[in-house]
Order: sequence, then C-alpha cells, then structure tokens
Amino acid sequence: MSEELYKQMAQSIIDGDSDLSIELAKKSIELNMHPLETITNGFVVGVNYIGDQFGAGEAFLPELVMAGEAMKAAVAVLEPELLKLGEAREIMGRVVLATVEGDIHEIGKTLVGTMLSASGFEVTDLGVDQPADKIIGKALEIDAHIIGMSALLTTTMVRQREVIEELDKEGLRPRIKVMVGGAPITRDWFQKIKADGYSEDAVGAVKVAKELVGKADQ
Amino acid sequence: MHEATLHVMGEIGLIWTHKPSLDVLMDAGCTLKENRVCFPANLVMESVAKANKRPVIKGRNGTVNSFGSGNLYFHNLGGARDIFDAKTNTRRPATNQDAVDAIRVLDALDNCHTVTPFFTPPNVSNEMMSLHMYRHTLPHTTKPVQGPGIQFAHEVKYAVEMANVVGTSASELTLSLSPVSPLTMHDASAAAIMAMAEAGVIQSNLPAPTGGATSPMTMTGSIVQQSAETLAPLVLAQLINPGCGVIYCGRLGMLEPRTGLIWGGVELGLSSAATVQLGHYYGFSVNVYGFSTNAHTIDAQNAFERGLNASIPALAGADELSGIGEMEAGVMGSHAQMVLDNELAASVMRLRTGLSADTEHLAIEIIGNVMNGTRNYLGQKHTLKHIRAGELALTKLAERNSWETWDEKLERKQMADYAIDAAEKILHEHQVPPLENQQEKELDRILAAAEKETIKKK
Repeated sequence: MSEELYKQMAQSIIDGDSDLSIELAKKSIELNMHPLETITNGFVVGVNYIGDQFGAGEAFLPELVMAGEAMKAAVAVLEPELLKLGEAREIMGRVVLATVEGDIHEIGKTLVGTMLSASGFEVTDLGVDQPADKIIGKALEIDAHIIGMSALLTTTMVRQREVIEELDKEGLRPRIKVMVGGAPITRDWFQKIKADGYSEDAVGAVKVAKELVGKADQ
Repeated sequence: MHEATLHVMGEIGLIWTHKPSLDVLMDAGCTLKENRVCFPANLVMESVAKANKRPVIKGRNGTVNSFGSGNLYFHNLGGARDIFDAKTNTRRPATNQDAVDAIRVLDALDNCHTVTPFFTPPNVSNEMMSLHMYRHTLPHTTKPVQGPGIQFAHEVKYAVEMANVVGTSASELTLSLSPVSPLTMHDASAAAIMAMAEAGVIQSNLPAPTGGATSPMTMTGSIVQQSAETLAPLVLAQLINPGCGVIYCGRLGMLEPRTGLIWGGVELGLSSAATVQLGHYYGFSVNVYGFSTNAHTIDAQNAFERGLNASIPALAGADELSGIGEMEAGVMGSHAQMVLDNELAASVMRLRTGLSADTEHLAIEIIGNVMNGTRNYLGQKHTLKHIRAGELALTKLAERNSWETWDEKLERKQMADYAIDAAEKILHEHQVPPLENQQEKELDRILAAAEKETIKKK
C-alpha cells in the first residue's frame, strides 16, 4: 500500500503537481504513515529524479521549478506532523541567499532557493540589491552555514568579492561558507575571489551546498 | 499586439514606487493598483505622438547617424566580460587595454556605424562603470558613441558633460536604461529616466525580458510585455520633456530550458523582427539584437545563429542592429569576430537593398545586344557598371578560390584566419585622431567629480 503511495508521491513531484502532492501528503497523515519516511521514500525520490533528468538534459527548467514548488507544498503539510512527534526533518544546513548590492535580478537566485529548500536546506532569501552588512548580519542572526550570492551583471559581480573580504576581515570563514552564482560568474572568478562553492545551475548548486556542509552523500 | 500592450499598461500596470515620478504620472491621469501604476491608453498614445522619432546622433568628427531615414545602422553591444583570442581558442577577462583596443578596431570598421563601450574593465565599481567606460571610449573613436547603459540618475549629468567635451550635445547623445522584467521600474531607474528627460538626451531604453523566465514563453506575449516596458518610461519622459528623442528598442531573449541560458537561436531573429514591426507601427526607429549567438568560438553555430538573427530583423526594416563582435550571449567578444561582423553587415545591407526592376536592371536591351553579338556578358559595360554599383556584396574575407589555390597557395586559410590577420593589422596600423590635451583633462576632471559624488553618496 505505502509502496504504491510512495510512487504516486514521487510522480506528483515529477509532474510538478502541487495540488496532488498536498493531497497525497494529507492522505499519508490519514493513513498514519510516518511523515519523515513519507518525505524520504516518496517525495524526495521525485525531486532527485527530476534533478537527475535536468542534469542529463532530459528535463526543462520549468519542470525543475514546478517540482521544487510541489515538494515545498508537500513538506509544508507534513512538517506540523513531524513537530507533533517531536521530530524534525533533518536540516541539511541553513543558507542565506541574496542578489548583491546594485543588482536587481532575482530569478536565478530564487530558483536556487527553491531547489535548496526542496533538498532539505533551510533557506532565508533576502531578495535583491543587498549590501554586504545586511547579508552578513542575517547570516550571523540565523547562524547560517552558507551564504549564497547571485549577480547577473558584469558590473555587479565585483560585489561578491566585497562580501567575502568582509567575512574574512571579521574572521567568519570558514565558519560561514560562500557560494557564488549568476550568468557572468565563471570558475576563474570563483577561484579568484576565493569563494567556497560555485555552480552554473540550480541542480549543481544543491550538490555544491551539500558538499560544503559535509553531506555530499545525502 | 498594440492593443494587448495598451491592455497590459492600462489594466495590469508596472510596479512603480518612486514618489517624484509617480507624482508626475498621477497628475497626468495614471492610476495606482496597489504598487502598480496603470497607464490610460490615451496618455500612452499622446506620449508616443509627442516623442521625437527621428533622432540624430553625432560623433566628434561631425559624423551623424539619422534614425528613421531608412538607413540600417550597426553597432556593438556593451558590457562583455571576457575577450576571446581566436588564434588560440582561449578566453580571459578583459583588461583596460582590451577595452581601448576594441574601440579602435570598431572605429576602423566601415560597417560599424555607432560605437558602444565594449568591455567592462576590471576593478571599477558598479556605480562608476558606465562613466568610466564612456570616458575611455571617447578618445579612441570619431564615430558617434552610443552612451553606455546607465542605472543611476547621477550618471546622466556626467555623461552629458563628457559628450559636450567632444562636441556632442545632449540632444545628440543616446543613453539606455533597462527596466527590470517583468514590468518593474525600480526607484533608481525611475529617477534616471527623469534625469535623462530633464537633460534632453535621446532615450533608447532597453527592456531585456527572457521569454519563459521573466516574460511569457510565447514570443508574442513577450513582445507585448516588452513593449509595455518600453512605452512606460517613454510616457514619463514625454511628460517631463515633451518632444525629447526616443529610439524604440527591444532585447527579448528566449530561455534555453535545458541550461537556463539565453538562447541565440533563430527565435531571437524572429522576435526582433516582430519588435521592429511593432515599433514601426508607432512610428519609431527601432533598434534590436542582430549578431547574437550562444557559441563560444568562431564556428558553424556562431555563423548560422548570427547570420539568421541579423538578417531577419534587417528584412523586417530594422533601423539599427546590435551585436558586432559579440559571442556567448554577450558576455564575450573578440577582435576577429568584429572584423567578421563587418563583412556580414555588408552582406546584410546588400540583402536589405534587395532587387531593382527598372529598365536598367531588367536589362532587356542588353540581353538583345548580347544575343545578337558575342553571346556572353563579360565584355558588356553593363556588367562592369553593376559590379561597381554594388549588385554584388563583394566579400573581403570569404574564401572563394579553387580547391587547388586554397590548398596549395593559400595554405588552407579560412575566413576566420583572415579575420584574425585583419584585426591584428587594424590594431597595428589604425590611427584615431587624438583628443586635444585640454579635452582629455576635462574628461578626467568630470570623471573625478563623478567619483567624488559617488563616494559621498555611499
């Protein structure tokens, strides 16, 4: 019974069907299934599948977004049940995301946030045009493991370095790891500014984030 | 699409929170729907009617580009990060010297009519980048310099001052600002539009939606949204300074749904052509993407993408096409690519000229003469006359010899090899008349003043 339901759950994520993923999450509660097992054996399987498909060039970006949203919706139903049991879904890590100061583009960053959330990270998304002090302040406030910074413009990518320099000055690294991304960001730039992680896309960003928190195998 | 644009502007509106500009818009009859400002159709059309749709931009030697005259102009995109070395097939971040060299190459190319600051130099702050690029472009070309893409109001004043130093007045200077898609006018952008209008510069604002990500996946839907993003700042500008110059621009790219990057496929050419037609419907001169590609090297993909993407809007009647020298969706450029695009532009212009069917071109008399005489056309004056008159776009770089000549004599050199050589020759030999010492000093003074104001603001 539960095997069949797990399959349907995974498929609801693959299809990006939030209505169905919510319905299946509720059904699992009615059936007294363990919420953590539901997430791990059902919904996460779908997220991983669509991520792999995207990595192989077989799935499209909108499918990734919709899968992430369906995952978030299902988890939101199950989280209160976990709390009732005195449990919590293991948090992979806490991440502060922002687009750097002077840059008002957010679609890539938001997608990274969706995929990180769907993969078990706790994400605080500060939005766009965020100065270094705000990003670092929020990271300290929530005791973040990772700061993720986005920049779309060749003119604003330099701000990523400023945040890293500020973190170094305050002695906050390696306690806080830094991931960078955005259209103009290259491996050379990532190395030059001595960031800890970099990815070209949102699926890769999840992999990098897991590596940075020492959970690459999960 | 026009009616859909008016509907989007009137019923959906644009996110707009900048108080001083909102006051101007509300006084003119706009309404607020939460944080979105809606534009009544009659206000939009009155503003379109007021705008100067035939602006003229001027270079420091007096060269002018007259928009709306039926001419097709070419220019380059601005803001590339890396330079591609076509000889070694490698890339590296562009340096200050690369930024200067690129302008000198563009200055030397006949079919580059307007120069835009090409590379973003390293170690310059975001606030100063555009002015820095503009200042270091002016001494290295005599062509009209398309002002840099700006983001802030303070950039306008200093850009106008710099243009004045080389004899270009505000009304002959274009500046561009990109509203954020979808349908968002940030405070700094709105303030910059006001500053541009007050200064009287030609506005060539550049919405750059990505179909499937920041605008609808369907091209017509994206063009409608883009049009609303073009016309909304235009309304503000015409309310502040009725009659100021406008070039209608579109920079619609499409999402590559497997990699997330902007796609250089033929859809760019198609949507650029539709943007041209919509802009012309309003009576504007239109500037769209031209030589655009996702390719990383000078290869087959590069050639077919840029060839198609320039030809389609050119045939739709574009007034200006961008992209000379651009590669990898605009983040990289190369000197050899610039030289290649100069040649491709010649072919596109030939394509645009089309055919003539007058008596001279129908050539019935010549056909008769030849049939009654030598039965070949090689010796006819008519033949030579029309070769010289431009019936053919005679290429300088394309390889058109026999296999034997190509293999043995020319050592299998290909078009890109010739372009590399030509670019090197330009860099070695091309001289641009320098600015006077006094002009250089004045530009330095203006840049320093801008820097001081920027630091104070921070």
